[in-house]
Amino acid sequence: MIVLASLIAMVICLYDYYTPETGLIGTGGVVLVAVAGLLMFLASLTLKLVPNRSCFLQGFLVVSILLDIIGSSVAGYFLESPVIMAAEALALVGWLMNVIGDAADRSVEIDDVED
Amino acid sequence: MSKTNKKAFILGALGLAAAAAVVTLSPMQRATAQGGDNDPAQVWDAFGGNQQAQKFSTATQITPDNVANLKKAWDMHTGDVSSGAHSTTWGATPLFVNDTVYTGTPKYNIFALEPDTGKLKWKYSANGSNGDENQGLKNRGVAYWAASAPAAGQPCQKMVYIGNMQGELHGVDADTGKPCAGFGKNGVLDVNAWATKNSKWKIGLIQPPAVYKDTLILGWAGNDWVYKTENPGTVYGIDARTGALKWTFNIIPEDMMDQTGTANVWAGISVDPETGLAFLPTSSPSPNYYGGDRLKEMPYATATVAVKAETGEVVWSHQLTHHDIWDVDINSAPTLVDIKKDGQTIPALIQATKQGFLFVFNRNTGEPVYPIEERPYPASDVPGEVAAKTQPYLPVPEPVIADHMPPVSKLADFVSFGECSRWKARIRDEGRYTPPSIRGSISWPATLGGVEWGGGALDPTTNTYVVNSNVVPQIYTLVPRADADKKYGTALRARDGYAAQQGSAYGFKLENFLNMWGMPCWAPPYGNLSSYDMNTGKLNWKKPFGAVQKWGFYMPDSWGSITIGAPAVTKSGLIFIGASMDSRVRAIDMKSGNVLWKQIVDSPAVAQPAIYTYKGKQYVAFAVGGNGILTPRLSDQVVAFSLPN
Repeated sequence: MIVLASLIAMVICLYDYYTPETGLIGTGGVVLVAVAGLLMFLASLTLKLVPNRSCFLQGFLVVSILLDIIGSSVAGYFLESPVIMAAEALALVGWLMNVIGDAADRSVEIDDVED
Repeated sequence: MSKTNKKAFILGALGLAAAAAVVTLSPMQRATAQGGDNDPAQVWDAFGGNQQAQKFSTATQITPDNVANLKKAWDMHTGDVSSGAHSTTWGATPLFVNDTVYTGTPKYNIFALEPDTGKLKWKYSANGSNGDENQGLKNRGVAYWAASAPAAGQPCQKMVYIGNMQGELHGVDADTGKPCAGFGKNGVLDVNAWATKNSKWKIGLIQPPAVYKDTLILGWAGNDWVYKTENPGTVYGIDARTGALKWTFNIIPEDMMDQTGTANVWAGISVDPETGLAFLPTSSPSPNYYGGDRLKEMPYATATVAVKAETGEVVWSHQLTHHDIWDVDINSAPTLVDIKKDGQTIPALIQATKQGFLFVFNRNTGEPVYPIEERPYPASDVPGEVAAKTQPYLPVPEPVIADHMPPVSKLADFVSFGECSRWKARIRDEGRYTPPSIRGSISWPATLGGVEWGGGALDPTTNTYVVNSNVVPQIYTLVPRADADKKYGTALRARDGYAAQQGSAYGFKLENFLNMWGMPCWAPPYGNLSSYDMNTGKLNWKKPFGAVQKWGFYMPDSWGSITIGAPAVTKSGLIFIGASMDSRVRAIDMKSGNVLWKQIVDSPAVAQPAIYTYKGKQYVAFAVGGNGILTPRLSDQVVAFSLPN
């Protein structure tokens, strides 16, 4: 879901950057959000494709994605772009699912150890 | 919490984070209808809506209740836009008359368009600029004239005029776009040939002429920062049919013409069709910021002057800044109003100014309707300069800007490590009319206004006057000639804001009061929209207007925006206005000042809209050109809005 949200954010930013009617044509703000979307995309792919990652990398990616979501949401607010904000809301749901799912997995692992 | 307050709260709450974001981002981008087949009240046949510069429409189809449904009816692109060294500046108001929308462009073309579709009827090219002249690629539209007694079957009984940077005024047939052979030489009048005294440049015909019966009243734009002596500001009365010179009016006295120049009329001119008086807003003499060589009084400079439109004879005048050394040109056409006061109807005019005053005069006699005080102001400390001891001050109506600049912005000061407050402490700041100095002075208000060249709009049914204004201090520094020559050599201008004022004892440097990140050093709002009851002089409301957009991010509405352009108003109680930095056009409730509708356009619409009715439908049309002073975003769009069928 984070991958999807970051892709949506990037596509929206590209559209905004080249479309006069958005009021954001050629602006640095949408470039910033697009770059943030790209970083989020890479981070979420890493989460998905690198299962045996270290605790440090896990923590770094999770915190980075959260900061990315918060920053992009604030940027979306000041860009007055509800679509970017919606995409970030989607990313936040994905992030929560990831964190909760990850915590549940670890809980199961711990239970397994105790059994 | 309102959306505005939420934004302000978020800005505040984010505190350092927001500041850090700024720091991080900054380096990235450091109705006097004279013909036509329409109801005269529904046309828009002059730059100011009518020759009285009221910018008022009697149309009532679009109301505060339904304006939220307004949609784009059509738009078109003229192709006349460029950026970079020869960037375009387009402040045209489309005209609607003769069942046609006419507009001029900054590449000096006239477009005649279908009013309901925007399709091209005809196009005429006046060429007239390579971008290197004194004003470059700049235009504020076209003028329209129709013969009061047209000759049947003859062309050019209705004409459209456009000026260019070669000092040419072109006259073409309003129906076909073909040059009128009887006007000048084959449709081209060489006005520049009349402006030979101290000529340094060809005069720039940016602003379309005013029209009274068969007379065109024409001013021009000069360049008053770079030489001591320039073309003296002369206004021309011209035969609308033939281009013959009927009269001239010299603003600079003959015996001063070798000491100074300009004081020209570069803004709109209004006309009273009943009395035949034309009202001229005159600008400041050259060089703009040092007056030691022009100490003799020049009463018609930086003034409102009433002349007879058919002869140029002066009827009355009022100088609104004495010995102008701030470049506070009188920069907008006075708006004509019949004021109801003390049981009497007074034929009056409203003269908005860069100083933020709304002077009101009896337009027949020049007598002030609201009393003017002469107040003392600071003396100059520059050798050779003698600032005027007093200046006119108008307490009622309340000036659109305060007597002192706003305090230093805490946010801008914080993120620049105290740069703003340190800078302000170094320079001279004694409020209004602080004279330019060698160490630097805050000019408040600065040359950007107060009120800009669009002026205000009036609903004559209620005498409600609406006007946008800027809150912009700038820093004026005089550079002694030896220092200027050493640093800048023979350059007339430099990128750091230097202008030579060659021939005088001082060069000049204009600086924007911004911190190292480009943030304004003063507290917002940066621009307002105000409404006045002109019968009483009372302020109805004043609100921050527009929005600043930087790197795409919209700042809080409570910050407002610097604006260029003007509003137009309707009898149904709406204000339509572009003007803001954020490339949006808005409809605003005249009673409350609340924004009821807004729409993104291609760039800031730094002009005033036209409001017209065609085939039973009301349209609001904007020329969307942008202005490099506000943002680099420029355009060539003409767009019209209407209610869906």
